[in-house]
Amino acid sequence: MDRTQRPRSVLDSLGEELIGILTPVSICMFTVVLLVCLLNSDPSSSASFSSIATAAYSETDSDSPWDKLLGAFLNSLVFVAAITVATFLLVLLFYLRCVRFLKLYMGFSAFVVLANLGGEISVLLIDRFRLPVDSVTFSILLFNFSVVGVLAVFMSRFSILITQGYLVVIGVLVAYFFTMLPEWTTWVLLVALALYDLAAVLLPVGPLRLLVEMAISRDEDIPALVYEARPVIRDDSRLVQRRVWRDRRSSQNDDDLENNEVVNVVVRAEEEEQRSEISVPLIERSRPESSETFLEGIGLGSSGAIKLGLGDFIFYSVLVGRAAMYDLMTVYACYLAIIAGLGVTLMLLSVYQKALPALPVSIMLGVVFYFLARLFLEVFVVQCSSNLVMF
Amino acid sequence: MEEASRSDEPNRNPNIDRSSNPNPLSSIISSAHVWPTIDGPLGLTEEASVDYARRFYKFGFALLPWLWAVNCFYFWPVLRHSRAFPQIRNYVVRSAVGFSVFTSLLLAWALTFSLGGEQLFGPVWDKLVMYNVADRLGLSGLA
Repeated sequence: MDRTQRPRSVLDSLGEELIGILTPVSICMFTVVLLVCLLNSDPSSSASFSSIATAAYSETDSDSPWDKLLGAFLNSLVFVAAITVATFLLVLLFYLRCVRFLKLYMGFSAFVVLANLGGEISVLLIDRFRLPVDSVTFSILLFNFSVVGVLAVFMSRFSILITQGYLVVIGVLVAYFFTMLPEWTTWVLLVALALYDLAAVLLPVGPLRLLVEMAISRDEDIPALVYEARPVIRDDSRLVQRRVWRDRRSSQNDDDLENNEVVNVVVRAEEEEQRSEISVPLIERSRPESSETFLEGIGLGSSGAIKLGLGDFIFYSVLVGRAAMYDLMTVYACYLAIIAGLGVTLMLLSVYQKALPALPVSIMLGVVFYFLARLFLEVFVVQCSSNLVMF
Repeated sequence: MEEASRSDEPNRNPNIDRSSNPNPLSSIISSAHVWPTIDGPLGLTEEASVDYARRFYKFGFALLPWLWAVNCFYFWPVLRHSRAFPQIRNYVVRSAVGFSVFTSLLLAWALTFSLGGEQLFGPVWDKLVMYNVADRLGLSGLA
Protein backbone atom coordinates (compact mmCIF):
# COMPACT_ATOMS: atom_id res chain seq x y z
CA MET A 1 0.00 0.00 0.00
CA ASP A 2 2.86 2.32 0.60
CA ARG A 3 4.43 1.71 -2.75
CA THR A 4 1.58 3.09 -4.76
CA GLN A 5 1.72 6.33 -2.86
CA ARG A 6 5.34 7.09 -3.51
CA PRO A 7 5.54 9.80 -6.18
CA ARG A 8 6.55 8.38 -9.47
CA SER A 9 9.59 9.87 -11.03
CA VAL A 10 10.67 9.67 -14.60
CA LEU A 11 13.26 7.08 -13.66
CA ASP A 12 10.63 4.47 -12.94
CA SER A 13 9.63 4.12 -16.54
CA LEU A 14 12.78 5.40 -18.17
CA GLY A 15 14.30 2.00 -18.54
CA GLU A 16 11.19 0.57 -20.13
CA GLU A 17 10.91 3.41 -22.60
CA LEU A 18 14.56 3.21 -23.51
CA ILE A 19 14.32 -0.52 -24.09
CA GLY A 20 11.25 0.10 -26.18
CA ILE A 21 13.30 2.08 -28.64
CA LEU A 22 16.65 0.35 -28.34
CA THR A 23 15.27 -3.10 -29.06
CA PRO A 24 13.94 -2.43 -32.56
CA VAL A 25 17.05 -0.45 -33.47
CA SER A 26 19.22 -3.35 -32.35
CA ILE A 27 17.06 -5.89 -34.16
CA CYS A 28 17.26 -3.86 -37.35
CA MET A 29 21.03 -3.54 -37.13
CA PHE A 30 21.48 -7.20 -36.28
CA THR A 31 19.35 -8.31 -39.21
CA VAL A 32 21.21 -6.10 -41.64
CA VAL A 33 24.55 -7.41 -40.39
CA LEU A 34 23.22 -10.95 -40.75
CA LEU A 35 22.09 -10.31 -44.30
CA VAL A 36 25.38 -8.68 -45.18
CA CYS A 37 27.35 -11.60 -43.78
CA LEU A 38 25.15 -14.16 -45.52
CA LEU A 39 24.84 -12.58 -48.91
CA ASN A 40 28.16 -10.87 -49.46
CA SER A 41 30.44 -13.83 -49.44
CA ASP A 42 32.70 -12.51 -52.15
CA PRO A 43 33.93 -9.02 -51.38
CA SER A 44 35.55 -8.47 -54.71
CA SER A 45 32.38 -8.35 -56.73
CA SER A 46 30.94 -4.93 -56.27
CA ALA A 47 27.48 -5.11 -57.65
CA SER A 48 26.77 -2.51 -60.24
CA PHE A 49 24.14 -0.76 -58.30
CA SER A 50 23.21 2.57 -59.66
CA SER A 51 20.93 4.85 -57.85
CA ILE A 52 20.56 8.52 -57.31
CA ALA A 53 23.36 8.30 -54.78
CA THR A 54 25.81 7.25 -57.43
CA ALA A 55 24.52 9.46 -60.18
CA ALA A 56 27.43 11.81 -60.21
CA TYR A 57 30.21 9.36 -59.97
CA SER A 58 30.44 5.62 -59.84
CA GLU A 59 33.44 4.32 -58.06
CA THR A 60 35.79 1.90 -59.70
CA ASP A 61 38.68 0.12 -58.12
CA SER A 62 41.29 1.76 -60.24
CA ASP A 63 40.74 5.32 -59.12
CA SER A 64 43.12 7.08 -56.83
CA PRO A 65 41.96 7.86 -53.31
CA TRP A 66 41.67 11.54 -54.09
CA ASP A 67 39.42 10.80 -57.05
CA LYS A 68 37.29 8.52 -54.94
CA LEU A 69 36.95 11.15 -52.25
CA LEU A 70 35.99 13.79 -54.74
CA GLY A 71 33.53 11.49 -56.40
CA ALA A 72 32.03 10.59 -53.06
CA PHE A 73 31.57 14.27 -52.24
CA LEU A 74 29.79 14.84 -55.51
CA ASN A 75 27.53 11.87 -54.95
CA SER A 76 26.61 13.00 -51.47
CA LEU A 77 25.94 16.50 -52.67
CA VAL A 78 23.56 15.23 -55.30
CA PHE A 79 21.81 12.95 -52.84
CA VAL A 80 21.41 15.58 -50.15
CA ALA A 81 20.13 18.04 -52.72
CA ALA A 82 17.59 15.51 -53.91
CA ILE A 83 16.46 14.87 -50.36
CA THR A 84 16.14 18.57 -49.64
CA VAL A 85 14.00 19.10 -52.71
CA ALA A 86 11.83 16.14 -51.84
CA THR A 87 11.41 17.30 -48.26
CA PHE A 88 10.38 20.75 -49.33
CA LEU A 89 7.89 19.13 -51.66
CA LEU A 90 6.53 17.21 -48.72
CA VAL A 91 6.27 20.39 -46.69
CA LEU A 92 4.37 22.02 -49.53
CA LEU A 93 1.96 19.13 -49.84
CA PHE A 94 1.39 19.06 -46.12
CA TYR A 95 0.79 22.79 -46.15
CA LEU A 96 -1.82 22.36 -48.86
CA ARG A 97 -3.43 19.67 -46.73
CA CYS A 98 -3.06 16.87 -49.25
CA VAL A 99 -2.86 14.44 -46.39
CA ARG A 100 -4.82 11.77 -48.18
CA PHE A 101 -2.43 11.82 -51.09
CA LEU A 102 0.51 11.52 -48.73
CA LYS A 103 -1.01 8.56 -46.97
CA LEU A 104 -1.71 6.83 -50.25
CA TYR A 105 1.83 7.51 -51.30
CA MET A 106 3.11 6.09 -48.06
CA GLY A 107 1.13 2.93 -48.60
CA PHE A 108 2.33 2.68 -52.16
CA SER A 109 5.97 3.12 -51.22
CA ALA A 110 5.64 0.55 -48.45
CA PHE A 111 4.23 -1.85 -51.00
CA VAL A 112 7.08 -1.19 -53.40
CA VAL A 113 9.67 -1.72 -50.72
CA LEU A 114 8.13 -4.86 -49.33
CA ALA A 115 7.25 -6.50 -52.61
CA ASN A 116 10.18 -5.43 -54.70
CA LEU A 117 13.08 -5.21 -52.30
CA GLY A 118 11.71 -7.95 -50.09
CA GLY A 119 11.24 -10.18 -53.07
CA GLU A 120 14.74 -9.50 -54.32
CA ILE A 121 16.33 -10.23 -50.99
CA SER A 122 14.29 -13.41 -50.63
CA VAL A 123 15.38 -14.51 -54.07
CA LEU A 124 18.99 -13.79 -53.16
CA LEU A 125 18.62 -15.85 -50.01
CA ILE A 126 16.96 -18.71 -51.86
CA ASP A 127 19.70 -18.60 -54.42
CA ARG A 128 22.39 -18.60 -51.80
CA PHE A 129 21.00 -21.52 -49.84
CA ARG A 130 19.48 -23.35 -52.83
CA LEU A 131 16.17 -23.78 -51.08
CA PRO A 132 13.77 -25.83 -53.20
CA VAL A 133 10.94 -23.34 -53.08
CA ASP A 134 8.65 -23.26 -56.04
CA SER A 135 7.51 -20.07 -57.65
CA VAL A 136 3.82 -20.54 -56.81
CA THR A 137 4.45 -20.81 -53.09
CA PHE A 138 6.94 -18.00 -53.23
CA SER A 139 4.60 -15.62 -55.00
CA ILE A 140 1.74 -16.39 -52.63
CA LEU A 141 3.95 -15.79 -49.61
CA LEU A 142 5.39 -12.59 -51.00
CA PHE A 143 1.96 -11.31 -51.93
CA ASN A 144 0.62 -12.02 -48.46
CA PHE A 145 3.60 -10.46 -46.80
CA SER A 146 3.49 -7.24 -48.76
CA VAL A 147 -0.27 -6.72 -48.69
CA VAL A 148 -0.49 -7.18 -44.95
CA GLY A 149 2.51 -4.89 -44.59
CA VAL A 150 0.77 -2.18 -46.57
CA LEU A 151 -2.30 -2.56 -44.39
CA ALA A 152 -0.19 -2.35 -41.27
CA VAL A 153 1.47 0.83 -42.40
CA PHE A 154 -1.54 2.43 -43.95
CA MET A 155 -4.26 1.79 -41.43
CA SER A 156 -4.08 3.96 -38.42
CA ARG A 157 -5.41 1.36 -36.02
CA PHE A 158 -3.67 -1.92 -36.26
CA SER A 159 -1.88 -4.32 -34.03
CA ILE A 160 1.02 -2.45 -32.50
CA LEU A 161 3.38 -5.38 -32.60
CA ILE A 162 2.75 -6.18 -36.24
CA THR A 163 3.07 -2.57 -37.32
CA GLN A 164 6.34 -2.23 -35.45
CA GLY A 165 7.56 -5.48 -36.96
CA TYR A 166 6.76 -4.35 -40.47
CA LEU A 167 8.42 -0.98 -39.97
CA VAL A 168 11.57 -2.71 -38.81
CA VAL A 169 11.41 -5.01 -41.84
CA ILE A 170 11.05 -2.04 -44.18
CA GLY A 171 14.05 -0.45 -42.47
CA VAL A 172 16.08 -3.62 -42.87
CA LEU A 173 15.25 -3.98 -46.55
CA VAL A 174 16.09 -0.42 -47.48
CA ALA A 175 19.22 -0.41 -45.34
CA TYR A 176 20.50 -3.57 -46.98
CA PHE A 177 20.17 -2.00 -50.36
CA PHE A 178 21.96 1.10 -49.24
CA THR A 179 24.90 -0.93 -48.03
CA MET A 180 25.52 -1.88 -51.61
CA LEU A 181 26.69 1.59 -52.50
CA PRO A 182 30.41 2.01 -53.08
CA GLU A 183 32.41 2.34 -49.93
CA TRP A 184 33.68 5.88 -50.01
CA THR A 185 30.31 7.14 -51.13
CA THR A 186 28.64 5.43 -48.20
CA TRP A 187 30.80 7.05 -45.57
CA VAL A 188 30.74 10.53 -47.02
CA LEU A 189 27.00 10.18 -47.56
CA LEU A 190 26.41 9.25 -43.94
CA VAL A 191 28.34 12.25 -42.70
CA ALA A 192 26.57 14.52 -45.18
CA LEU A 193 23.18 13.23 -44.07
CA ALA A 194 24.05 13.75 -40.43
CA LEU A 195 24.91 17.38 -41.18
CA TYR A 196 21.78 17.77 -43.27
CA ASP A 197 19.63 16.38 -40.50
CA LEU A 198 21.18 18.79 -38.04
CA ALA A 199 20.46 21.70 -40.36
CA ALA A 200 16.99 20.61 -41.38
CA VAL A 201 15.72 20.14 -37.87
CA LEU A 202 17.37 22.91 -35.94
CA LEU A 203 17.58 25.80 -38.38
CA PRO A 204 14.40 27.89 -38.46
CA VAL A 205 14.27 27.60 -42.22
CA GLY A 206 14.83 23.87 -42.21
CA PRO A 207 12.10 21.84 -43.91
CA LEU A 208 11.74 19.36 -41.11
CA ARG A 209 11.28 22.06 -38.55
CA LEU A 210 8.62 23.71 -40.68
CA LEU A 211 6.86 20.39 -41.01
CA VAL A 212 6.93 19.74 -37.32
CA GLU A 213 5.63 23.18 -36.47
CA MET A 214 2.80 22.82 -38.94
CA ALA A 215 1.90 19.46 -37.49
CA ILE A 216 1.88 20.84 -33.99
CA SER A 217 -0.15 23.88 -34.88
CA ARG A 218 -2.73 21.78 -36.65
CA ASP A 219 -2.67 19.05 -34.08
CA GLU A 220 -2.24 16.38 -36.71
CA ASP A 221 0.00 13.48 -37.39
CA ILE A 222 2.45 13.74 -40.20
CA PRO A 223 1.66 10.95 -42.65
CA ALA A 224 4.99 9.29 -42.78
CA LEU A 225 6.76 6.16 -41.68
CA VAL A 226 7.61 6.57 -38.05
CA TYR A 227 8.39 3.98 -35.49
CA GLU A 228 6.50 4.62 -32.30
CA ALA A 229 7.36 2.65 -29.26
CA ARG A 230 4.52 1.20 -27.29
CA PRO A 231 3.44 3.84 -24.79
CA VAL A 232 4.26 2.92 -21.26
CA ILE A 233 1.11 2.47 -19.25
CA ARG A 234 1.72 3.62 -15.79
CA ASP A 235 -0.31 2.84 -12.75
CA ASP A 236 -1.52 6.33 -12.31
CA SER A 237 -4.25 6.94 -14.76
CA ARG A 238 -2.78 10.02 -16.23
CA LEU A 239 -0.87 8.71 -19.15
CA VAL A 240 -3.20 6.56 -21.14
CA GLN A 241 -6.91 6.95 -21.26
CA ARG A 242 -8.61 4.92 -23.89
CA ARG A 243 -6.37 6.41 -26.45
CA VAL A 244 -5.53 4.57 -29.59
CA TRP A 245 -1.84 4.69 -29.73
CA ARG A 246 -1.52 6.77 -32.79
CA ASP A 247 -4.60 8.91 -32.73
CA ARG A 248 -4.62 12.11 -30.86
CA ARG A 249 -7.59 12.93 -28.73
CA SER A 250 -7.82 15.89 -26.44
CA SER A 251 -4.47 15.74 -24.85
CA GLN A 252 -4.07 16.22 -21.20
CA ASN A 253 -1.12 18.12 -19.95
CA ASP A 254 -0.29 15.94 -17.08
CA ASP A 255 3.06 14.54 -17.64
CA ASP A 256 6.05 16.42 -18.76
CA LEU A 257 6.65 13.87 -21.45
CA GLU A 258 3.33 14.37 -23.15
CA ASN A 259 1.84 16.79 -25.54
CA ASN A 260 4.64 17.42 -27.89
CA GLU A 261 3.97 15.69 -31.11
CA VAL A 262 7.17 16.40 -32.88
CA VAL A 263 8.31 14.37 -35.76
CA ASN A 264 10.76 15.04 -38.50
CA VAL A 265 10.40 14.00 -42.06
CA VAL A 266 12.86 13.23 -44.72
CA VAL A 267 11.73 12.14 -48.09
CA ARG A 268 14.20 9.96 -49.74
CA ALA A 269 14.41 9.01 -53.31
CA GLU A 270 14.25 5.34 -53.93
CA GLU A 271 16.90 3.93 -56.09
CA GLU A 272 16.34 2.30 -59.40
CA GLU A 273 18.22 -0.77 -60.19
CA GLN A 274 20.22 -1.49 -63.19
CA ARG A 275 21.14 -4.92 -64.22
CA SER A 276 24.65 -5.56 -65.31
CA GLU A 277 23.57 -8.54 -67.36
CA ILE A 278 21.81 -8.66 -70.65
CA SER A 279 18.50 -6.94 -70.43
CA VAL A 280 15.55 -9.22 -70.04
CA PRO A 281 13.62 -9.40 -73.30
CA LEU A 282 10.04 -9.38 -72.15
CA ILE A 283 10.00 -7.56 -68.85
CA GLU A 284 10.85 -3.93 -68.55
CA ARG A 285 12.92 -3.91 -65.43
CA SER A 286 13.51 -0.22 -64.95
CA ARG A 287 11.36 0.74 -62.08
CA PRO A 288 10.19 4.29 -61.72
CA GLU A 289 11.96 6.17 -59.05
CA SER A 290 9.59 6.43 -56.19
CA SER A 291 10.11 8.62 -53.23
CA GLU A 292 9.31 7.28 -49.91
CA THR A 293 8.27 9.15 -46.92
CA PHE A 294 10.59 8.14 -44.21
CA LEU A 295 11.16 10.02 -41.07
CA GLU A 296 14.34 11.03 -39.51
CA GLY A 297 14.61 12.44 -36.12
CA ILE A 298 13.34 11.64 -32.74
CA GLY A 299 10.43 13.07 -30.92
CA LEU A 300 7.70 12.39 -28.48
CA GLY A 301 4.37 11.05 -29.52
CA SER A 302 1.08 12.31 -28.30
CA SER A 303 0.77 9.57 -25.75
CA GLY A 304 4.25 10.10 -24.44
CA ALA A 305 5.77 7.30 -26.40
CA ILE A 306 9.09 7.90 -28.04
CA LYS A 307 8.98 8.21 -31.80
CA LEU A 308 11.96 7.53 -33.97
CA GLY A 309 11.93 8.12 -37.67
CA LEU A 310 12.45 5.20 -39.97
CA GLY A 311 15.27 7.04 -41.74
CA ASP A 312 17.27 6.81 -38.53
CA PHE A 313 16.81 3.05 -38.41
CA ILE A 314 17.95 2.85 -41.99
CA PHE A 315 21.08 4.92 -41.69
CA TYR A 316 22.19 3.36 -38.44
CA SER A 317 21.85 -0.01 -40.09
CA VAL A 318 23.69 1.18 -43.19
CA LEU A 319 26.59 2.24 -41.00
CA VAL A 320 26.70 -1.05 -39.18
CA GLY A 321 26.20 -3.02 -42.38
CA ARG A 322 29.06 -1.27 -44.04
CA ALA A 323 31.18 -1.92 -40.95
CA ALA A 324 30.22 -5.58 -41.25
CA MET A 325 31.67 -5.66 -44.71
CA TYR A 326 35.05 -5.07 -43.20
CA ASP A 327 35.08 -7.17 -40.09
CA LEU A 328 32.94 -8.00 -37.09
CA MET A 329 35.22 -6.08 -34.78
CA THR A 330 34.19 -2.84 -36.41
CA VAL A 331 30.57 -3.96 -36.09
CA TYR A 332 30.85 -4.20 -32.33
CA ALA A 333 32.57 -0.84 -32.11
CA CYS A 334 30.02 0.89 -34.31
CA TYR A 335 27.08 -0.77 -32.58
CA LEU A 336 28.22 0.49 -29.20
CA ALA A 337 28.88 3.93 -30.61
CA ILE A 338 25.44 4.15 -32.16
CA ILE A 339 23.67 2.97 -29.03
CA ALA A 340 25.62 5.47 -26.98
CA GLY A 341 24.71 8.22 -29.44
CA LEU A 342 21.06 7.20 -29.28
CA GLY A 343 21.17 7.33 -25.51
CA VAL A 344 22.67 10.81 -25.62
CA THR A 345 19.99 11.90 -28.06
CA LEU A 346 17.24 10.56 -25.84
CA MET A 347 18.68 12.40 -22.88
CA LEU A 348 18.77 15.60 -24.87
CA LEU A 349 15.20 14.92 -25.91
CA SER A 350 14.04 14.71 -22.34
CA VAL A 351 15.90 17.90 -21.53
CA TYR A 352 14.85 20.02 -24.48
CA GLN A 353 11.38 18.61 -25.14
CA LYS A 354 11.37 19.36 -28.81
CA ALA A 355 12.17 17.72 -32.09
CA LEU A 356 15.73 16.62 -32.31
CA PRO A 357 17.74 15.12 -35.11
CA ALA A 358 18.67 11.60 -34.15
CA LEU A 359 21.30 11.10 -36.80
CA PRO A 360 24.17 13.49 -36.02
CA VAL A 361 25.45 12.25 -32.68
CA SER A 362 25.17 8.56 -33.49
CA ILE A 363 26.53 8.80 -37.00
CA MET A 364 29.48 10.93 -35.95
CA LEU A 365 30.34 8.59 -33.11
CA GLY A 366 29.83 5.61 -35.37
CA VAL A 367 32.06 6.92 -38.13
CA VAL A 368 34.78 7.94 -35.70
CA PHE A 369 34.69 4.58 -33.99
CA TYR A 370 34.74 2.74 -37.30
CA PHE A 371 37.88 4.45 -38.47
CA LEU A 372 39.56 4.18 -35.09
CA ALA A 373 38.73 0.49 -34.89
CA ARG A 374 39.82 -0.20 -38.41
CA LEU A 375 43.06 1.73 -38.24
CA PHE A 376 44.22 1.23 -34.70
CA LEU A 377 42.18 -1.30 -32.78
CA GLU A 378 42.48 -4.09 -35.29
CA VAL A 379 46.24 -4.00 -35.40
CA PHE A 380 46.40 -4.01 -31.64
CA VAL A 381 43.94 -6.86 -31.16
CA VAL A 382 45.46 -9.00 -33.87
CA GLN A 383 48.93 -8.57 -32.47
CA CYS A 384 47.75 -9.37 -28.99
CA SER A 385 45.85 -12.47 -30.02
CA SER A 386 48.53 -13.84 -32.25
CA ASN A 387 50.98 -13.52 -29.40
CA LEU A 388 48.44 -15.02 -27.00
CA VAL A 389 48.66 -12.02 -24.75
CA MET A 390 45.10 -11.01 -24.19
CA PHE A 391 42.38 -12.78 -26.09
CA MET B 1 -4.01 -3.17 -2.57
CA GLU B 2 -7.33 -4.05 -4.09
CA GLU B 3 -8.84 -0.78 -3.06
CA ALA B 4 -6.11 1.12 -4.78
CA SER B 5 -6.50 -0.79 -8.01
CA ARG B 6 -10.27 -0.61 -8.04
CA SER B 7 -10.32 3.09 -7.48
CA ASP B 8 -8.00 3.45 -10.41
CA GLU B 9 -10.29 1.69 -12.81
CA PRO B 10 -13.00 4.31 -13.33
CA ASN B 11 -10.26 6.76 -14.22
CA ARG B 12 -8.69 4.38 -16.64
CA ASN B 13 -11.75 3.32 -18.54
CA PRO B 14 -14.24 6.10 -18.79
CA ASN B 15 -16.25 4.45 -21.53
CA ILE B 16 -16.32 1.00 -20.09
CA ASP B 17 -18.36 -1.36 -22.12
CA ARG B 18 -20.62 -3.07 -19.71
CA SER B 19 -21.74 -5.83 -21.98
CA SER B 20 -18.28 -7.21 -22.43
CA ASN B 21 -17.46 -8.03 -18.84
CA PRO B 22 -19.19 -11.26 -18.05
CA ASN B 23 -16.79 -12.60 -15.47
CA PRO B 24 -17.85 -11.60 -11.93
CA LEU B 25 -14.45 -12.46 -10.54
CA SER B 26 -12.75 -10.05 -12.82
CA SER B 27 -13.53 -7.04 -10.71
CA ILE B 28 -11.29 -8.40 -8.04
CA ILE B 29 -8.46 -9.11 -10.37
CA SER B 30 -6.79 -5.87 -11.36
CA SER B 31 -7.06 -4.71 -14.97
CA ALA B 32 -10.45 -6.28 -15.05
CA HIS B 33 -12.00 -5.11 -18.26
CA VAL B 34 -11.52 -7.51 -21.11
CA TRP B 35 -10.49 -5.73 -24.23
CA PRO B 36 -11.17 -7.36 -27.55
CA THR B 37 -7.77 -6.71 -29.04
CA ILE B 38 -4.39 -7.95 -27.95
CA ASP B 39 -3.24 -4.40 -27.39
CA GLY B 40 -5.60 -4.00 -24.50
CA PRO B 41 -6.53 -0.44 -23.68
CA LEU B 42 -4.41 0.81 -26.54
CA GLY B 43 -6.40 -1.10 -29.11
CA LEU B 44 -9.84 -0.82 -30.56
CA THR B 45 -13.20 -0.41 -28.94
CA GLU B 46 -15.65 -3.21 -29.28
CA GLU B 47 -17.76 -1.61 -31.97
CA ALA B 48 -14.76 -0.89 -34.14
CA SER B 49 -13.48 -4.40 -33.51
CA VAL B 50 -16.52 -6.00 -35.08
CA ASP B 51 -16.00 -3.89 -38.15
CA TYR B 52 -12.32 -4.71 -38.33
CA ALA B 53 -12.82 -8.42 -37.76
CA ARG B 54 -15.39 -8.57 -40.49
CA ARG B 55 -13.24 -6.65 -42.95
CA PHE B 56 -10.18 -8.75 -42.26
CA TYR B 57 -12.21 -11.89 -42.69
CA LYS B 58 -13.61 -10.76 -46.01
CA PHE B 59 -10.32 -9.52 -47.37
CA GLY B 60 -8.64 -12.76 -46.45
CA PHE B 61 -10.49 -14.47 -49.24
CA ALA B 62 -8.27 -12.68 -51.75
CA LEU B 63 -5.61 -15.38 -51.24
CA LEU B 64 -4.45 -13.76 -48.02
CA PRO B 65 -4.23 -16.41 -45.29
CA TRP B 66 -1.68 -14.28 -43.49
CA LEU B 67 -4.40 -11.68 -43.03
CA TRP B 68 -6.55 -14.33 -41.38
CA ALA B 69 -3.67 -15.23 -39.10
CA VAL B 70 -3.19 -11.56 -38.22
CA ASN B 71 -6.91 -11.39 -37.50
CA CYS B 72 -6.65 -14.27 -35.04
CA PHE B 73 -3.53 -12.81 -33.47
CA TYR B 74 -5.01 -9.37 -33.09
CA PHE B 75 -8.22 -10.58 -31.51
CA TRP B 76 -6.59 -13.24 -29.40
CA PRO B 77 -8.49 -12.25 -26.21
CA VAL B 78 -11.70 -12.99 -28.10
CA LEU B 79 -10.57 -16.54 -28.65
CA ARG B 80 -9.39 -16.95 -25.10
CA HIS B 81 -12.49 -15.69 -23.33
CA SER B 82 -14.97 -17.84 -25.11
CA ARG B 83 -18.11 -16.20 -23.84
CA ALA B 84 -17.39 -12.58 -24.55
CA PHE B 85 -17.78 -10.75 -27.83
CA PRO B 86 -19.98 -13.18 -29.73
CA GLN B 87 -20.00 -11.23 -32.95
CA ILE B 88 -16.25 -10.80 -33.16
CA ARG B 89 -15.73 -14.39 -32.17
CA ASN B 90 -17.77 -15.52 -35.13
CA TYR B 91 -15.42 -13.89 -37.62
CA VAL B 92 -12.26 -14.73 -35.75
CA VAL B 93 -13.05 -18.41 -35.52
CA ARG B 94 -13.89 -18.54 -39.18
CA SER B 95 -10.61 -16.77 -39.95
CA ALA B 96 -8.74 -19.32 -37.88
CA VAL B 97 -10.39 -22.17 -39.72
CA GLY B 98 -9.64 -20.57 -43.05
CA PHE B 99 -6.04 -19.99 -42.13
CA SER B 100 -5.50 -23.60 -41.04
CA VAL B 101 -7.10 -25.01 -44.17
CA PHE B 102 -5.16 -22.76 -46.51
CA THR B 103 -1.88 -23.31 -44.69
CA SER B 104 -2.25 -27.06 -44.69
CA LEU B 105 -2.95 -27.07 -48.41
CA LEU B 106 -0.04 -24.76 -49.14
CA LEU B 107 2.29 -26.71 -46.90
CA ALA B 108 1.27 -29.96 -48.53
CA TRP B 109 2.01 -28.56 -51.95
CA ALA B 110 5.31 -26.97 -50.90
CA LEU B 111 6.53 -30.09 -49.15
CA THR B 112 5.54 -32.29 -52.06
CA PHE B 113 7.41 -29.99 -54.35
CA SER B 114 10.57 -29.72 -52.32
CA LEU B 115 10.77 -33.33 -51.22
CA GLY B 116 9.51 -34.85 -54.42
CA GLY B 117 12.04 -33.14 -56.56
CA GLU B 118 12.77 -34.28 -60.01
CA GLN B 119 11.74 -37.85 -59.49
CA LEU B 120 8.18 -36.88 -58.92
CA PHE B 121 7.76 -34.04 -61.30
CA GLY B 122 10.22 -34.63 -64.04
CA PRO B 123 11.54 -31.68 -66.03
CA VAL B 124 8.72 -29.45 -64.79
CA TRP B 125 10.47 -29.22 -61.44
CA ASP B 126 13.34 -27.32 -62.91
CA LYS B 127 10.95 -24.93 -64.56
CA LEU B 128 9.04 -24.23 -61.37
CA VAL B 129 11.76 -23.96 -58.76
CA MET B 130 12.40 -20.44 -57.64
CA TYR B 131 16.08 -20.00 -58.27
CA ASN B 132 15.71 -21.03 -61.87
CA VAL B 133 12.73 -18.80 -62.35
CA ALA B 134 14.70 -15.95 -60.84
CA ASP B 135 17.61 -16.58 -63.13
CA ARG B 136 15.38 -16.67 -66.14
CA LEU B 137 13.64 -13.44 -65.23
CA GLY B 138 16.83 -11.78 -64.12
CA LEU B 139 15.52 -11.10 -60.64
CA SER B 140 18.60 -12.07 -58.73
CA GLY B 141 20.88 -9.81 -60.65
CA LEU B 142 22.18 -7.89 -57.73
CA ALA B 143 24.80 -10.18 -56.31
